[in-house]
Amino acid sequence: MKIARATPAMRWRARLWLLLAAVVALTCGWQFAAAGRSGHIPLQTNLLALLPPTERNPLAEEAITQLADAAGNRAIFLVGAAQAETAAGAARAFATALRAAGVFRQVVADIPPLDPQQIAGVYVQHRYSLLAAADRAALASGPVDLAGRLQRKLYAPFRFGLTVSPVDDPFGLTDAWLADLPLRNLKLEPENGLLVARTVDKTWVFVSAELPGSAYDGALQQAVGDAVAQAEQALATAYPGVELLCTGTVFYANAARQAAEREVNLIGAGSLAGMLLLLYFVFRSLRPLALGLLSVGFGIAAAVAVTVGVYGELHLITLVFGASLIGEAIDYAVQYFAAHLGAGKNWDAMAGLRRIAPALTVALVTSLLGYGALLLAPFPALAQIALFAFAGLFSAWLSVFLLLPSLLVAPSRRDPEVAVAVPQRFLRAWQVHMNRHRCLLLAGLLLVAAAPGWLQLSGNDDVRLLIAWPPSLVAQEEQIRALTGIGNGSQFFLIEGDTENAVLEREEHLSERLDEIVRRGGITGYQSVSSFVPSRVRQTENRRLWQARVFADAAGLRRLLAKSALRDDVADVQIAAFSASAGQFLHVDDWLQTPLAAPFRHLWLSSKTGGSGGFAGVVVPQGAIDVAQLAAAAADLPGVTLVDKAGSVSRLFRDYRRWGALWLTGAFTLVYGVLCVRYGPRQAAATLAPTVLAVALALGILGYLGTPLTLFNLMALMLVLGVGVNYAIFLREGAASDAKAAAATLAGVLLSAGTTLLSFGLLAFSSMPALAGFGLTLLIGVGIAVLMAPMVLSFSPRATT
Amino acid sequence: MHRLILALLLFCAAPVLADEQDTLKRIAAQLEQHAVVRAEFTQTKQMAALKRPLVSSGRLVFSRRHGVLWQIEQPYRMTYVLGAERIVEIAADGTHRQRGLREVPGLAQVGRVFRALLGADTATLQENFAVTVTGDPADDGRWQIDLVPRSAQLAQFLRGLQLSGHAYAENIVIEETGGGRGTDRTQIRLVDSHAAAAPSPDELRLFELSGEPARP
Repeated sequence: MKIARATPAMRWRARLWLLLAAVVALTCGWQFAAAGRSGHIPLQTNLLALLPPTERNPLAEEAITQLADAAGNRAIFLVGAAQAETAAGAARAFATALRAAGVFRQVVADIPPLDPQQIAGVYVQHRYSLLAAADRAALASGPVDLAGRLQRKLYAPFRFGLTVSPVDDPFGLTDAWLADLPLRNLKLEPENGLLVARTVDKTWVFVSAELPGSAYDGALQQAVGDAVAQAEQALATAYPGVELLCTGTVFYANAARQAAEREVNLIGAGSLAGMLLLLYFVFRSLRPLALGLLSVGFGIAAAVAVTVGVYGELHLITLVFGASLIGEAIDYAVQYFAAHLGAGKNWDAMAGLRRIAPALTVALVTSLLGYGALLLAPFPALAQIALFAFAGLFSAWLSVFLLLPSLLVAPSRRDPEVAVAVPQRFLRAWQVHMNRHRCLLLAGLLLVAAAPGWLQLSGNDDVRLLIAWPPSLVAQEEQIRALTGIGNGSQFFLIEGDTENAVLEREEHLSERLDEIVRRGGITGYQSVSSFVPSRVRQTENRRLWQARVFADAAGLRRLLAKSALRDDVADVQIAAFSASAGQFLHVDDWLQTPLAAPFRHLWLSSKTGGSGGFAGVVVPQGAIDVAQLAAAAADLPGVTLVDKAGSVSRLFRDYRRWGALWLTGAFTLVYGVLCVRYGPRQAAATLAPTVLAVALALGILGYLGTPLTLFNLMALMLVLGVGVNYAIFLREGAASDAKAAAATLAGVLLSAGTTLLSFGLLAFSSMPALAGFGLTLLIGVGIAVLMAPMVLSFSPRATT
Repeated sequence: MHRLILALLLFCAAPVLADEQDTLKRIAAQLEQHAVVRAEFTQTKQMAALKRPLVSSGRLVFSRRHGVLWQIEQPYRMTYVLGAERIVEIAADGTHRQRGLREVPGLAQVGRVFRALLGADTATLQENFAVTVTGDPADDGRWQIDLVPRSAQLAQFLRGLQLSGHAYAENIVIEETGGGRGTDRTQIRLVDSHAAAAPSPDELRLFELSGEPARP
């Protein structure tokens, strides 16, 4: 009946809205289906995807990715028990249970035996180009006691690890080279076919599992989580008292996804329920509730469709933030409802829309400007949030223009006087007590009160702000690091050169300095290709030393070997092998093809991807890392760069936080410009004043609270500007008509603020520090902005009369 | 050596002959008092790469707490100290060379097995070897124990161990993989074994070079 009274123009608008809604619904459905899991948003849980490329050198970014992949698609477990046999049995049972789940590509507990022949093979072939550091120094400093070395090689009561036959290596020089290889950067040692670490009271067995896909694949995370939980339970039943530690990107990503989903549910449901309650409380009708839901639902769906359309996925931070957008998207509809309420029996749907249209539009533009500031930030995640907000707010705004008039043609049955009684009293009180002078005085007093807070503000640019890892996962990872010596891979050296050899030489220069740091205890060691494959210069030098100290006196060598118990042909074999190997060099490719190189392949970047056609290697320091010492080591070495991803991101955070103040000023100027166009310079200033106060006071309160100022707090202040100025605009536009309408508008403004505060307030409880800080700042800022918004009435031309 | 071999037997026989376990336990308990065993050794090494066997001889000191002291006296003087943390090589002129057991893959395990063998660390040996016992020490007869590595890692270095003796351990045979050139066979003959309560001060000084003593 009510729709029957809608004009044809209104009906056309509604049809257009339905068409758009159908397009959005279809797009979302298609996107979710394309993501492979119908009903699920394609959700990105990789936090690296949040971070901008920080390195000027594209090769460094590639190395970062390569190192992250080398570690990322693996889950690591340690199974610990007091008895070594119990630990071994439990580890094997655990590995079997994981394998049985069929989730992992490969689960390794028993390490495959390395054929010593295969390990030594490539080095035996090139043995006359290789020397251990100590032997090189000894051979360089003078003749060596070959007879003594021969005796030691022959009579030693046991083998010192990997050894080569005395026929190939009568003086143990190759044995020494093999023993010096940094194969054991980990503290694990092979024992009974397992890798084992020992602590005072426990034996820990290492189990690793390889994922069949990305650790950021939500379905895989779920499957891995379930498989591990089941295997852990089976372990607890079969081996009570056995301890299990696990770490891996997949667990962190899974935890992040679960936390995000939990928060989306909490924030979404919380702000929705609160919003509906508020709406009902003010309008006492179900119609605004249903219409509000339609408008917000359309806005959020459109935001998802656009964001997924542009980025192909939704980052979990965007999703959590999106849940809080509900409170803002409803504002436009709320203003329309307020107009409806305020008009009472004289309601005309289109006339009401026309009256609030300018305010809605100015509000939309200022909000978009606020979010537009986020687009300037170099963070893909913030840009995504901005796009999400753009699409969502614009669609919610559009809903008011297209859909709402045809569904809200009947006048409100609620007595506007009763509905707006409370805001009206507040408004009257404000107008009675707060003239211009008192307003200025209040503002001045508040600023003075806030000033000491400003002085207490401190910055925090830690990259860990982005996400709070579950403490139990962090504790397990730290324990695993301590037990196994696995590094964090966040800092490394990138070594570049035009040729393979140039890279190796530069690595050797760096190694000399790193050895010094190792001696001082700064790091426990490092991984580098050049410790497996010496540079050409070093190989040449090694061969020269072999020539000078071993083969120069061929007759002496023959005599020495003939005297020993070695077969008579050994001398000839040695001399022939030495001359046959002249001019041969061990190349990185030779080494890369050996099974020995498998765990170290990420240390060498293929030449093609470098872009410049050059070569690059990666040197990864191990143990507790002092970045300053490492940076000093790399400082004056050409082609050597210390890459510190976490550090770079923190520096970026800091730079942008410092620029944030300027941006904020810029955004204020921009909004002021927009307001000037409509209200003129003086009134624009009055309209903007409550928001300026809100930002200033929010900063002061953050200072008093001791909350460190982060980039994300500043981003929130941009939004305080975008949202806060709306209230002043609505109020001033409402006041321009009549007192009753002004009270209704204030009711609307309070309602808007209520919903906004509700959703951002809930965001303050997010487990992600960045979002929590964002929410808290908005809560404080928007709260003050709405309380101070009536200031515009004191300064409006009508109020003075 | 006597004590250690009997203790070894105790462990070795356990899975084979449950009836003898009690008897062997009593013998082992009786032998537990001896912390240190000394013996004279003669080592004969045979390798494919040799035209004649390598023969060396000297003194062996085993301390349950500290490790193994292997002092070659013929044909040249050289001392090896195998401790909990490292192997130290001391030449006749007193120069030391040492290597941390954890620095080289497999070395820690070889070291541990060597010590377990001499120290009758039954748990470690049982973990590492499949054991066969022949003969009967309880009847004062000759006995022999064969140890074959269980793990592929150990099998890379070691084909097998054999211990045999009468009242004392008299013979140890170590068969190693010869760096890809056949099997190396090392025979150690032990004579004049006797037990002591503690290492001599000189021996203790040498043991101290090889790291902290193992936990008792």
